[in-house]
Amino acid sequence: MSSVHAARTRALEAAGAEPRRWAARRERLVPYGFVLPLFAVFVAFYLWPALNTIASSLFEWGLLNPWELQASGEWDFVGLGNYGELLGSERFWNAVLNTAVWLVLFPLLIVGVSLAVSILIWFARLGRVAFRTVFVLPMTISLAAAGVIWSFVYNPDFGVLSALVERLGLDGSLDLGFIHFEGGNWLSDPGVIDLGVAELRLVNLSLIVAGFWAFTGFGVITLTAGLTTMSQDLIDAATVDGARPRQIVRYVIIPQLRGPLVVVGVISVIFALRTFDIVWVMTRGGPAQDSEVLAVLLWKQAFAFLDSPQAGLATAVAVLLAALLVALAYPVLRGLRRERR
Amino acid sequence: MTSLARSRRLALAIYGTLTVASIVWLVPVATALMTSVRPLEEIRRGWWNLDGATFTLSNYSKAWEQGLSEYVVNSFLIALASVALTLSAGVLAAYAFARLRFRFRRVSYFLLLTTMIVPVQIILIPLLPWFKTIGLSEGAWQYLGIALVHTAFGAGLAVFILTPFFAEVPDEIVDAARGASHLDVFRRVILPLALPGIVSFAIIDFVFVWNDLLLALTLLGRDYQPVTVGLANLQSPHLAQEDVVSAGAIMAILPPLLLFAVLNRFYVRGLFAGGVKG
Repeated sequence: MSSVHAARTRALEAAGAEPRRWAARRERLVPYGFVLPLFAVFVAFYLWPALNTIASSLFEWGLLNPWELQASGEWDFVGLGNYGELLGSERFWNAVLNTAVWLVLFPLLIVGVSLAVSILIWFARLGRVAFRTVFVLPMTISLAAAGVIWSFVYNPDFGVLSALVERLGLDGSLDLGFIHFEGGNWLSDPGVIDLGVAELRLVNLSLIVAGFWAFTGFGVITLTAGLTTMSQDLIDAATVDGARPRQIVRYVIIPQLRGPLVVVGVISVIFALRTFDIVWVMTRGGPAQDSEVLAVLLWKQAFAFLDSPQAGLATAVAVLLAALLVALAYPVLRGLRRERR
Repeated sequence: MTSLARSRRLALAIYGTLTVASIVWLVPVATALMTSVRPLEEIRRGWWNLDGATFTLSNYSKAWEQGLSEYVVNSFLIALASVALTLSAGVLAAYAFARLRFRFRRVSYFLLLTTMIVPVQIILIPLLPWFKTIGLSEGAWQYLGIALVHTAFGAGLAVFILTPFFAEVPDEIVDAARGASHLDVFRRVILPLALPGIVSFAIIDFVFVWNDLLLALTLLGRDYQPVTVGLANLQSPHLAQEDVVSAGAIMAILPPLLLFAVLNRFYVRGLFAGGVKG
């Protein structure tokens, strides 16, 4: 009896083993099925074009040419020639300088002002939500719309800024030797700061202020989240010990906000480096090339003169831009991750 | 009351500073709003000048008739298609990253996350010829094309925001559904529980796509462009049509703003899901 039972069990097991192995194999493939749709789109519309950008930066080519590497007449292999040409061109260095102004001022403004605003809002008990909404609101506005709005603010004839400056009697020009300032021409030619080695064009400042207005909300949200998770005990202890508000901010609050501050800093650096929309809408990189940043230079080189074979130069700018971003953002993000552990 | 705010002078300083800063912060929005509801001649005297002010909505109807309606429709089409694609592919992938074990999991996750840091410029230039090659550069196919690029570019943010929500679902609940297929567990158990995360990502992605200028400017033909490109085209100090442009700007701002206002809670929660979980 028992041997019959055992045999039956064995037979059943043998019959079941085959489907079970199939089931196990299917089971192993399930995760790939879940990831595949997103990954396929990622490969086709991100990885592949990105690799194309890197490869085509080694060629001299134009966008109207056929997209086939076999058409060798349209594709001149120049090795690192595009990079060499860029590094030797004045226009490239002009764009680098303007981008550098963004890279320094934009994160400083964002971090400084959003820190001040979120701490002030945190201390204010009444009207917290209302104040926070005011500063977060511009974050939902597209940079294109923000650019349009700020063009109104900067309008020399009926903009509020020009009117204010005039009312206060601050219009007219100012000459301090190395600084030259022309009130009223906020977007045309507000002046320069001569640093000896390079001239910083003040029109960049007008654009940075507009971007800063649109982006500060991100800093306020992030730092507010940091403040709400902050331990209240330390602040109470410091208060009991007779610490003054300024000391509490300096020695208790800011050290605890290190993580969120780094996040805001890194993201605004990333944003500053790829900035395009605000500049495009407000000045198209002008007047002349006074506010042309790297992203705008790239766009003009690739798409503004479609028939001239400058797309190779543009892809080289793209590669340099991406490399710079990764180099700047990666160490900070790594450091942050290590700190969290 | 915070113990610090007890000092009256300090409270006064805090509220004073915040009030002044808030007023300054609202000036650009007030400028756009006032410009959009007053005739052009009045705007030229300064929008803050309220002598004999007339209120009008004709700027809006003028803007709407001058082509803004098409831009807005395009914006909605592009944003909805992109969010639908990103979300459906994104929830599947995020589920796998959160709850399944498989080879290349970490590598593929990392690869997807790079889309959050690497600038869009790295893919921008070859996209146009690439679209020509695969037939996405003509007619309504352009909508699909740009939606696919937005999906690829939103991939990192999608898994970054959604994965923690899927990981949060307690194991016991999933175990209780043992025996059901992965797809069933996913659809009936996990998806409903992770709904807040899905809604927040959908909102963030919608705002992100709606506000995009660079991709649309580069990839789309004249009749397929969204409202951001429309604004960039209209914006020129020489055209002297501030009335139309300001009305257009306000209309372009409204959809994301309304989404934000209605679903504020979801929005903020989504932004922090990644950070809190880290």
